[in-house]
Amino acid sequence: MSTYPIEQGVRTAASQHSDAQVAAAELAAALRHDNLGFVLFFCSAEYDLAALASALESQFSSVPLSGCTTAGEITPLGYDRGSIVAIGFDGRLFAIETALIDDLDHFDLANAQPLVDSLLEQCRRQAVAPINEHCFALTLLDGLSSREEQVLATLDAALGRIPSFGGSAGDDNHLSHTHVYTAGHFYTRAAVVVMINTRLPFEVFSTHHLIPLTHKLVVTEADREQRRVIELNGLPAAQVYAELVGSAPDELSAAIFARHPLAVRIGGQHYVRSIQRVNSDNSLSFYCAVENGIVLTAMQPTPLLDDLKTMLADVRSRLGAPSVIIGCDCFLRRMELEALGDVEQASQLLCQSSVVGFNTYGEQHHGMHVNQTFTGVAFGSLPVNDI
Amino acid sequence: MDLFQLTTFNTDAADSRDGKDAAALREENRRLRKVCQALIERVETGSSADNAPYAAFERSVLLAEQVRERTDALHRTLDELSQVNARLQAAKAEAEAANLSKTKFLAAVSHDLLQPLNAARLFASALETHLLPDASQALVGHIGRSLKDVEGLIGTLVDISRLDAGVLHADKAPFAVNTLLDALAEEYHQVAGVRGLTLHYVPSSAVVESDLALLARVIRNFLSNAVRYTEQGRVLLGCRRRRDGLEIMVGDTGPGIPEQQREAIFLEFRRATQPNSAHSRGLGLGLAIVDRISTMLEQPVSLTSRPGVGALFSITVPYATAAIPTVSNLRTALPSDATEDLLNGENPLKEDPLSGCVIWVIDDDLAIIEGMQALLGSWGCRVRAAGTVSALEAASDGEQPAILLVDYHLGEHRETGIELASRLQRRYPGLSAIVITANHEAEIKRATREAGMHCLLKPLKPLRLRMLLTNAAGSIKT
Repeated sequence: MSTYPIEQGVRTAASQHSDAQVAAAELAAALRHDNLGFVLFFCSAEYDLAALASALESQFSSVPLSGCTTAGEITPLGYDRGSIVAIGFDGRLFAIETALIDDLDHFDLANAQPLVDSLLEQCRRQAVAPINEHCFALTLLDGLSSREEQVLATLDAALGRIPSFGGSAGDDNHLSHTHVYTAGHFYTRAAVVVMINTRLPFEVFSTHHLIPLTHKLVVTEADREQRRVIELNGLPAAQVYAELVGSAPDELSAAIFARHPLAVRIGGQHYVRSIQRVNSDNSLSFYCAVENGIVLTAMQPTPLLDDLKTMLADVRSRLGAPSVIIGCDCFLRRMELEALGDVEQASQLLCQSSVVGFNTYGEQHHGMHVNQTFTGVAFGSLPVNDI
Repeated sequence: MDLFQLTTFNTDAADSRDGKDAAALREENRRLRKVCQALIERVETGSSADNAPYAAFERSVLLAEQVRERTDALHRTLDELSQVNARLQAAKAEAEAANLSKTKFLAAVSHDLLQPLNAARLFASALETHLLPDASQALVGHIGRSLKDVEGLIGTLVDISRLDAGVLHADKAPFAVNTLLDALAEEYHQVAGVRGLTLHYVPSSAVVESDLALLARVIRNFLSNAVRYTEQGRVLLGCRRRRDGLEIMVGDTGPGIPEQQREAIFLEFRRATQPNSAHSRGLGLGLAIVDRISTMLEQPVSLTSRPGVGALFSITVPYATAAIPTVSNLRTALPSDATEDLLNGENPLKEDPLSGCVIWVIDDDLAIIEGMQALLGSWGCRVRAAGTVSALEAASDGEQPAILLVDYHLGEHRETGIELASRLQRRYPGLSAIVITANHEAEIKRATREAGMHCLLKPLKPLRLRMLLTNAAGSIKT
């Protein structure tokens, strides 16, 4: 074990080894030091999760860990798959507390308020930094739970002025099981709230590269529980969407969903509602809540890399060179980059700005469940006279 | 919004207007109904469907929107506040600059006024020693007193402006309170007697720490007021030992101060009741000055009074924690007003040590030089006065000076009076030096004291000068 300069505050590491034991050992070797206070990780759903859980617990012994499964990882070297990436937080600069929400269906304000209060109290006790203006919440949700909206709205009400962001766990596009991890176990149909209280300056951000077209589609029949749109404009949804994008209904794929998103407009802003898949009955399943009577606007991408560059430059101008950025990057963005052959360039950009994170099945920003965005938190460096 | 532009209509075919068109229109009609129905349902239930996931999302968006708007509003307010702040800062800087220029102006005016006034006083005092017809002697006396009043008024105005401008700094040092109170008691014993009042003085052996000159001003103002406003009875000067310091009190059997006026009398240009016109030469600034000095010294003033019975003003000063320094500046700091005229012209000291005493005067103002020569000459001193040391030495025929009177400000590019005096003291060991300055800053007083010299403030009070010279001459002879 070793000490290391406090001004860095965080260390990042990744392992491509598919064996859980080896991967956990590699991460521990890179991250452990005397002041390691917390580890956040994002892992491929391909890992033997039970083996990974016990390997991580034994490697990091008393250090608490949280994380989730992904639809792709962002490692210190850029985009990756089948790997695990982790961030180690220095306990001298960070007070981090976590809570598990394992009953997403019955999570209401009466549960949320004590949960938030208790997290803040535990952070306060560590006396790392004042709570006010020095706190944010990171949420990791089961991406297939269909409960994101309610849980987030409730949690956001309890968080009040504390900013929040997060991502929905993925499973490499299998759309079967996504997991969140805390206190030694992986959970499904659950959420992890990570309260981060830090001396480092930080900024929670969200960006996307999509602009509205003029076409409008009205949802005329929907199954809100299943997040399914059955009809658009009075016709089978898949047929109308396929016609909109100029392809046959049976040719629709994630790559097309990524290039031709739909969005709802609320208060002058457009929020993308991403399509998950086409069902056999020509209905469309979404990654987020839908409702009968909502109006969907056809969207069109602008160059993704330009938007990413601008966003990273903006963050840099406000915070200085980031010590780390934790990014929740919609997996549809990655599909688009792959379709355009821009993955390498994007990886370089992410690497230069010290971004680590994962590809999500949906992002969370200030209590909103959003799609097809790049949402996260950027940490600056500790002012020199503060060390 | 072209809702159904994706629906294919074969509008080009002219022959298909009938059956096909009707079917298409029926289909479009069906879909429009469906759309309308969905929209109506959405509009009617949208906001009330609290448990619906989409409604939760929509609420979060609207909430985030509100937060954003509120944050923007907050930023705008903060911007406005900082602009207002900047304007206030500018206004404050302007006001401070104006205040500073006012202070500079007053300092310049006071210096320029006091300089000729000083000379006039010296001439008047010298004239009083001449053998004149009684009528002329009385007139000279009046001139002297009128000049003294003018001097007092200008002095008060200058003092209050200096106190307001914050250029006056306290020079606190330990001293035995009796050295101050004895002198004041003696002075006001005479003044009270003239007004038919008795001054009852209780001495104290306490040693206190304060700025002697400023404290003297406070107590003198208390005494002046007591004498001025008390028609009959007595004035008390005494001390009370408190745990937090010595309370120096001045009481009287005057009309007292009504409750509602007790704060107002500490403001400028205010008086409690119309004073006896024969004695109203003040500007009503006395207690305003007391208040400011009290604040500056951080030594509190208090007032108790019963209307019709009397008033008791007091100031509480801390006990000294250090020993009294060896060079005493007591006499120099005690301007004497009342005893001056009574004693001046007489010969209070039988063996006058001033007689034949060699005094050198260095000042760059010719009127002062001439005035000093007249005054010191009338006291029997051998006076050599000039603007520079070389001129003085040339005129002195190798005579050893006993006392040096030197102006502190000898002109822009010359040494200070203290530096010149030190130089001469090295050349003439045993030379006693008195530095005269119109600058009331505590630093000069302190520097003089540290150099082992005496300091006199302009305008010069002839009696004080004489007492100081007598002391200096006496200590040289013994």
